[in-house]
Amino acid sequence: MCIARVGRVAEVSRGRARVEFFDGRSLGDVDVGMVQAKLGAYVEVFGNLALSKLSVSEARARKRAWDEVSRKGGQG
Amino acid sequence: MTREGVLFHAKHAYMPNTLGYCGPDEKGVIQDGLEEGKPGDGMVRALQRFEAAYPFLRLIARNTGREVFDYAVPEAYWIGNSLLDRVPPPDFYSFSHRELQGKDQVKVRDLFKGLDGMAKPHHSFYVMSTYASSSELDGPNVENDSERKLGTLIDNCRISWGTVQAVGGGELKVRSRPVELSGGRLALGEPRFRSVRYNRAVKPFGSVKKGDVVSLHWGYACDVLNGEQAVNIARYTRWDISRINRYLASRR
Repeated sequence: MCIARVGRVAEVSRGRARVEFFDGRSLGDVDVGMVQAKLGAYVEVFGNLALSKLSVSEARARKRAWDEVSRKGGQG
Repeated sequence: MTREGVLFHAKHAYMPNTLGYCGPDEKGVIQDGLEEGKPGDGMVRALQRFEAAYPFLRLIARNTGREVFDYAVPEAYWIGNSLLDRVPPPDFYSFSHRELQGKDQVKVRDLFKGLDGMAKPHHSFYVMSTYASSSELDGPNVENDSERKLGTLIDNCRISWGTVQAVGGGELKVRSRPVELSGGRLALGEPRFRSVRYNRAVKPFGSVKKGDVVSLHWGYACDVLNGEQAVNIARYTRWDISRINRYLASRR
């Protein structure tokens, strides 16, 4: 299954990007054309598609929530 | 824990993990276990590290008195069965807030409010609701090209099903109905023929034949479904679509 993850655009070319996620992993060939994300933007990625752009404060809040769930054992 | 439950779960989690969309970088462990038909400790540990799938199994298990890898639990999550009807929506809501990584809590609240609390912890619902509650795309108001991309994403990411028309060395030709997004509504489209990958080394694909119904995930045939499962996946998928369309309509 896929999970919606928030990350930062590390490279971008012609609407395709490499996105670095909060957990240290990254994904190449993410389609960011729909949200027109530029280098450094924070995006929410589902599968290989960026669904939305986030502000820095929104991204930080999502990171805190992600870390919180991780601490509670959300990753099983 | 049952061997069959672990293998069934792994078959459906395998391809998105291989693509890097979820779970740990352990695809070799999962593939080896599937081909050997033996879910070793390494495979189980890897499956427990999936950020969403494993918590969903725990939710279904604790609400139905089952073990997490009891076959019926992953079957409920990926395909759909009566266990889903025994998970109280308030528990699903609480779970989505507190145990599910990657979910925006404001969006979760709005989603459940828009659904009048009627939601089941089915994988396809999770996929469709993630799209539907995406704020920037404004659900029903996306443009045509975006609708095409989103429809493709939803169709690949949900578990779909298809009837085998022809068996090749590494691919099956199947007839299946895609989920499509048009005019801000989801629907099952007309049946289409498509080619999907499969692994003959994973049972029961060594004997897969024309007429079998298979589950599909990201263009990969996960398992051969029995008659009840074929009925259930269609039934629960239609239910998911109807709920998400109701939510999308509430946002217009």
